Amino acid sequence: MKKKVGKAMVVGAGISGIRAALDLAEFGYGVTLIDRAPKLGGILSQLDYQFPTDRCGMCKMLPLVDRDTSSQYCLRKGLFHENIDIRLSTELASVEGEPGNFQVSLRQKPSFVDSALCNGCGECVKVCPVEVPDEFNVGFSKRKAIYLPVPHNIPNTYVIDMTACTRCGECESVCPTQAIKVSKRVAKDFRIMVVDDELIVRDSIRDWLEDEGFAVDTAESGPDALELLSKQPYHLMLTDIKMPGMDGVEVLQKAKQNYPDLCVVMMTAYATVETAVEAMKIGALDYLLKPFEIDPLVSKVLQIYHDLEADQQPPMEVGALVLCGGTDYFDPASGPNTYGYGFFPNVVTSLGFERILSGTGPNQGRLVRPHDGKPIKKVAWLQCVGSRNIQLEADFCSSICCMHAIKEALVGKEKSGGELDATIFYMDMRTFGKSFQRYRDQAESKHGIRFKRGIIHSLLQDESSGDLIASHVDITGTKKEEIFDLVVLSVGQRPATGATAMLENLEIPCNSWGFGETQPFSSTVTGKEGILLGGSFSGLKDINESVIQASAAALSASRVIHKSGGGLVPEVSAEPPPAEAQGESPRVMVAVCTCGDEISKFFDQDQLVQSLEADPAVDQVLFLEQTCTAIGWENLVELAEKQRPNRMLIGACLPYVYARKIRELGQRLGLDPALIDVVDIKPIAYNSKIGSEIPSEEERTAANNELFAVFKMGLAKVKWADPAPVTKVKIKQEALVVGGGIAGMTSALAIADHGFKVNLVEQEEILGGNLNWLKRTLEGNATNTLLEESLQKVEKHPLIQTHVKSRVLSSFGYVGHFNTTVEGKEEGVFTLDHGVTILATGGTEAATTSYSFGASEAVITQKDLNKKIDDDTLEPGRLKTVVMIQCVDSREEPRNYCSRICCVAALKNALYLKEQNADIAVYILYRDMMAYGFAETYYTQARQTGVVFVQYDPTEKPDVSTADGSVQVTFFEPIMGKKIEIDADLVVLATGVVPNLPVDLATAFGATLDQDGFFAEAESKWRPVDSLKEGVFACGLAHSPRNVTESIATAEAASQRALRIIAHEQMPTGKVVADVRYSLCSLCERCINTCPYGARFFDLDQERVMVNSAMCQGCGSCATTCPNSASILAGFSDQQMFDVIDSALEGTG
Amino acid sequence: MAKTAKINVTEGNLLASLQGFFKAVLRVEDISAILVPQHLPMKNMVMPALVTDPKQLEGADPLAPAFPMNAAKIASRLTRKPAGGKVAAVLRPCEIRAFIELVKLKQGRMENVLLVGIDCLGAYQNKDYFKFVGDNVTESTTRFYQNVLSGKGAAMKEVDLSPTCKACEHCIPGAADLGIGLFGVDTANQLLVQTQTPQGEELLTRLNLPGSQEPAGRQKAVNAIIAEKTTYRDNMYQEIAAATNSLEKLTTYLANCVNCYNCRVACPVCYCKECVFVTDVFNHEPIQYLRWANKKGVIKMPTDTVFYHLTRMAHMSTACIGCGQCSNACPNDIQVMELFRAVSSRTQEAFEYQPGRSIEEEPPLSVFREDELADIVGIGHA
Repeated sequence: MKKKVGKAMVVGAGISGIRAALDLAEFGYGVTLIDRAPKLGGILSQLDYQFPTDRCGMCKMLPLVDRDTSSQYCLRKGLFHENIDIRLSTELASVEGEPGNFQVSLRQKPSFVDSALCNGCGECVKVCPVEVPDEFNVGFSKRKAIYLPVPHNIPNTYVIDMTACTRCGECESVCPTQAIKVSKRVAKDFRIMVVDDELIVRDSIRDWLEDEGFAVDTAESGPDALELLSKQPYHLMLTDIKMPGMDGVEVLQKAKQNYPDLCVVMMTAYATVETAVEAMKIGALDYLLKPFEIDPLVSKVLQIYHDLEADQQPPMEVGALVLCGGTDYFDPASGPNTYGYGFFPNVVTSLGFERILSGTGPNQGRLVRPHDGKPIKKVAWLQCVGSRNIQLEADFCSSICCMHAIKEALVGKEKSGGELDATIFYMDMRTFGKSFQRYRDQAESKHGIRFKRGIIHSLLQDESSGDLIASHVDITGTKKEEIFDLVVLSVGQRPATGATAMLENLEIPCNSWGFGETQPFSSTVTGKEGILLGGSFSGLKDINESVIQASAAALSASRVIHKSGGGLVPEVSAEPPPAEAQGESPRVMVAVCTCGDEISKFFDQDQLVQSLEADPAVDQVLFLEQTCTAIGWENLVELAEKQRPNRMLIGACLPYVYARKIRELGQRLGLDPALIDVVDIKPIAYNSKIGSEIPSEEERTAANNELFAVFKMGLAKVKWADPAPVTKVKIKQEALVVGGGIAGMTSALAIADHGFKVNLVEQEEILGGNLNWLKRTLEGNATNTLLEESLQKVEKHPLIQTHVKSRVLSSFGYVGHFNTTVEGKEEGVFTLDHGVTILATGGTEAATTSYSFGASEAVITQKDLNKKIDDDTLEPGRLKTVVMIQCVDSREEPRNYCSRICCVAALKNALYLKEQNADIAVYILYRDMMAYGFAETYYTQARQTGVVFVQYDPTEKPDVSTADGSVQVTFFEPIMGKKIEIDADLVVLATGVVPNLPVDLATAFGATLDQDGFFAEAESKWRPVDSLKEGVFACGLAHSPRNVTESIATAEAASQRALRIIAHEQMPTGKVVADVRYSLCSLCERCINTCPYGARFFDLDQERVMVNSAMCQGCGSCATTCPNSASILAGFSDQQMFDVIDSALEGTG
Repeated sequence: MAKTAKINVTEGNLLASLQGFFKAVLRVEDISAILVPQHLPMKNMVMPALVTDPKQLEGADPLAPAFPMNAAKIASRLTRKPAGGKVAAVLRPCEIRAFIELVKLKQGRMENVLLVGIDCLGAYQNKDYFKFVGDNVTESTTRFYQNVLSGKGAAMKEVDLSPTCKACEHCIPGAADLGIGLFGVDTANQLLVQTQTPQGEELLTRLNLPGSQEPAGRQKAVNAIIAEKTTYRDNMYQEIAAATNSLEKLTTYLANCVNCYNCRVACPVCYCKECVFVTDVFNHEPIQYLRWANKKGVIKMPTDTVFYHLTRMAHMSTACIGCGQCSNACPNDIQVMELFRAVSSRTQEAFEYQPGRSIEEEPPLSVFREDELADIVGIGHA
């Protein structure tokens, strides 16, 4: 077996970072995933519900093949993957070197709690005297200075907020595992000199720094300082600039001459800032502004200290970097703040409302105002706060807030049992994603969410009740006033803090709003090769788009690594341990961690031994000190090696962190790791009743019973464990791409560039799809260059075989091995073997008969207009009036979806017409202008150039008549409140996109279509380009309506998902897979219908139900459905489970 | 549309007329055999028999109040794979319903079978039938159907209809290809034949029976019978609920059970090749028995009795068609049918599912629907 060598770094561990890291790790690269926060998950750790399911589902991103390399539990809680090294509280310090060979230095924030020792018991929180607002709940609740960054993380290590911490040391003294080092954690050998002529300054700085544990000397003048320097080495010198005699700059110069490694920081009053800046040019590291405050000064020194410490570690070598820095929310308190955010307690942001809804929120998810506890009955959402706002220099749409608001309103409705009165005030409801329009419609028609077009300018507060008074003028000019319990500001997005600086450091250009800029037609490739942007770092995206983007970024990163020689080497697979335990009767060793006496204080050890040893399967019960420490663990391993049990049960805390240790232990004992298990006894040990006071006899008995039950459950599990060898599925390392448009070509190239063969099947005579008629984008990028380049690359690529005028007849098989029959007009019928399939069959402009289309040559579609513009058959100089009608047959049943590209196309063409002939009257009749993201700025431009936008309602559509050779358009003008008739030279219809993905083609590969005929994703958010059937992916217009760049992103994402499979010669299946006991099977086939992954099928020849173990995800649905356990799940035998349940019930008394 | 025809009855002899009809069916070209209740020469019991020779149909007796087994299982055996010919199966309505459930479970196939159903007059418990039947089977059957159809009722000296049949509201064959009507029909002169599927229509065309119309009073007569049975059934549900509404009461209710599993063997929809209760899953480790005994001080042996019945309810209650063979098979007179029907009525209601009603209806739990049963399982938006 071959494995990829090569390393990548992913910066930012939000949803995109996790996706990119997983993609690269699954492909075989080693990945370092860093985040400057002390937690994983980015913003999603604070969002519990996501549309369209209004639930979470993040775990669906976890690996489906070779899944035992990764943790397989709630991804919001944590992630462990063999190939991913996660470093939290860590930032990028510097990047040197070439693409494929970067040297990256990291800067890790000092940690005052040793995560290897912290067991999350929470004793520290009880004694911490400091209380500050909890940012996790947007300040609605309080936390201590030592706290959990996310309440639900695993392992849940406490962190200390050093800006709030008073360093009282209380937590340090109560910590049972000595994990906290807060008071004197800095090494004494870091010497600092403070040079200032003022005694008070010298001494106070010395005191502050000594409190931090540094060794500090002081000098009152330059010469004194230089003398001290000659006596012993210093690491850091803080020197004043203005001193009598030798000034600071001179001290700096002299010191640097003799001691070039010395770090010098200038201390300066405002007046001499310029001098300080000059000083930096001659070698000072930084400067500090007088007068000093303790916190900034100390943290600056700490940072320098840690930078110096970090610098001592060798920089990491990585082939490529993916920046997934995410975005921040707009702070409504900045700017004019007409909504009184921060002043009116019942004005919250969308994130704030999300926390109110959350079970881990300020009121455990109850719908009450955090401020005064009043039930929330009437809520208004105000859209576009901080977006689409030229005054705030935010001439962009944040893309996600419309759907976010609808979701919040719906979840609120749900939580209130339908009672919540929810109103969304908006300009355009931008429901441009797949399924969004129906979600919105249902919200209105089925759940009674009120949608009101209009902007609320400002809010007033009723002083007595705290309720908010919102007045607004609707489109007819009528003034209305309404009172709400709570107002939610749908805040827009901003570049993440520090993002702009980071990009500048890396010499990556930003766009005018500070988001990273990418190359034309790529949403990931920057001007700097080998450094990619993922997720919303390059612009505003929802989860679905971020995940696609992240996979695309992973693909681009992988390409760089591959190109620079991140080739294939034989994989060193761990020798499977001898199956010694097979067939032997169990001899279980039970090891109990006493957790530094915490456990033995309360538990009856003798009774535990007695109770466990009653089972003949138990060989020995022993008690150990702190198995979480290296020494404790080594003790355990040695004892086990002496005793040679054939199964082991360990009672400790945080079972998740033992996975790697268990594998090692298994190797040393020659045991399959499945024969070793860890049970979590911490919750019982740290039960609040037992922990805080002297427990009563009853409490002791109850706790003991519970503990015995936990052990017996674990015992039942290992006793019955019967590990089967993990099977492997052979992979045909080739890909089939169906469809040769830009998405298909992109996919083919991406896969072939990694050294794998691709067959590209196209039904037309030429490749290129829609790019054969589309010439340029709204941004003015020429698509024909893209087409020509892609065509050339495809044609020249030795690993791509193109089959034009060909179509797929049939296909069978599964991930790793498909067998597809293709019929070519020239090639005849032939078959292809391939491991993965990518469907890129594209889409076309929808046909229409609406608005008199076909009755006059003056009624055309947007595509027609594009073509006319490009072949110069349109004469803008002779046009007087052009009317564009949006959403033709779209966003209403049966085609109730937004095609996403038509508003942008209309803007593009309107701007072109205006540019050619400013006198043309251009009217765009629209329902909601879907100028999402940075397209908003073109919408603004179009309005500025005089394009007239008129909103129409689907109940009162415009009317087009073509009598007497001329065309009249009649429509209702809502501001004037009357109907208007216009003679138009040209009526341009935006008919939207329809997919070109025949049902039988999709079915042949086991993919399904959604109700509009687009590819149905396994999961729209978390697995956006995968089919439910593993090994089949889709991209481009067959997947969903999208523009060229977005199509390319899906193609790259699909390729990455495909590559992670065909990169391997064979693929290990999971340990937990289903099987069939044929002697018991009645062939009712219910298991086949139940299997959500299509992993089961009926083999007609053998007359047996078969399981494809690569596709099986071990969910156990089949075993549940089967009445007589003919269907079983490895590692979960009936006897085992009954025994576990019995043991659990024993603890109930 | 459904077609209606009649079978002429001479001298009020329903059995002879039906036998004549079966012979005609057997003569139809592509029908290879007929499965029909037949009394066996050696004993007076009536058993399903597979007949290919029309002459052998003299013993066919689908009206006898004997119901020794649910013949759906036989039909399933005959149809699991292509048999090289088509079988017309004359079944009671509950047998048809069970067969449909088995087909859904891939234990039988509709392709090789033509279902003929007759309005069900009910049956006695096996033991009661032996008391009733005497030496002359034909005579006893005739006495039975005459009493029932004339309104005198099925109760005779010493014997009465089984509780199953008294509580059975599905006595009209629902999903048969061809239904033969007795209730509300002038059976002295004719039997009503109604087709319910295209296949049934095709057979009727070939049989060339005289056309007819549904008698005006039939629906009313049928409704009256169903109403009476429904009342009986609902009372039964109430009694059972009262008798089993706690674990203690349920344990008492099932106290006579000796884990013989006869009820499972008799159950037509219990289709497992080998029941989980006879596999090693329930062959517990000796230490386990002691653990249980230790915990409670006393445990009844054999163990798993209540668990067995609960498991069967969990597995089969949505498919229970209420034929009562479980009670018929119990050696210790446990009222198994009553319990199962009472529980099934609730589970079937929860899934809005009526087993055996239509081959098109997917059985519960065969398709995962995220939004179903939110009020029971508590899933849905938190």
